[in-house]
Amino acid sequence: MYIRVKRSKTTYFIQCEPTETSLDIKQKLHDLIDQPVSDQRLILVSTGEVLEDSKSLADLKVENDAVVALTLRKG
Amino acid sequence: MRKEETVKLISAEGFEFVIHKDAAMVSQTIRNMLTSPGSFAETEHGEVTFPEISTTILEKICKYFYWNLQYASGKQTEFHIEPELVLELMMAANYLHT
Repeated sequence: MYIRVKRSKTTYFIQCEPTETSLDIKQKLHDLIDQPVSDQRLILVSTGEVLEDSKSLADLKVENDAVVALTLRKG
Repeated sequence: MRKEETVKLISAEGFEFVIHKDAAMVSQTIRNMLTSPGSFAETEHGEVTFPEISTTILEKICKYFYWNLQYASGKQTEFHIEPELVLELMMAANYLHT
């Protein structure tokens, strides 16, 4: 499956599995945008819920084609 | 997924879609842009701008690329297209050879 991670004008299509955790997604984003995992925060747009690092995508109800918003901590 | 394995597709309004190269290669046109010999800007930076494709259509196209890869690997699901997008989508598909 894939999810769409959006921030300002950019959308990242990230390939993932329901068994992966939110942290795994942040790690993949780190490879793309050079922002440390600890500075990233992911929000599931449909519910407005903040995704916790330790939980799996299945537990967080993040499905195929879901839209997730990315926010970054200011350095 | 490393940065070198991705391409950035930019819509008419300047919105960017970062997708895996394998997905983008579903389009024959994009494949040719990215693999043609010689040092073209598209090949080197992995960025392609589509001044004639709107953001909604380009996002739909990216979804289609991923759907296509899944379909090819045996997971057959339906691909939903909103009726109001059909005309523009067909014009884009014609241009992109998909």
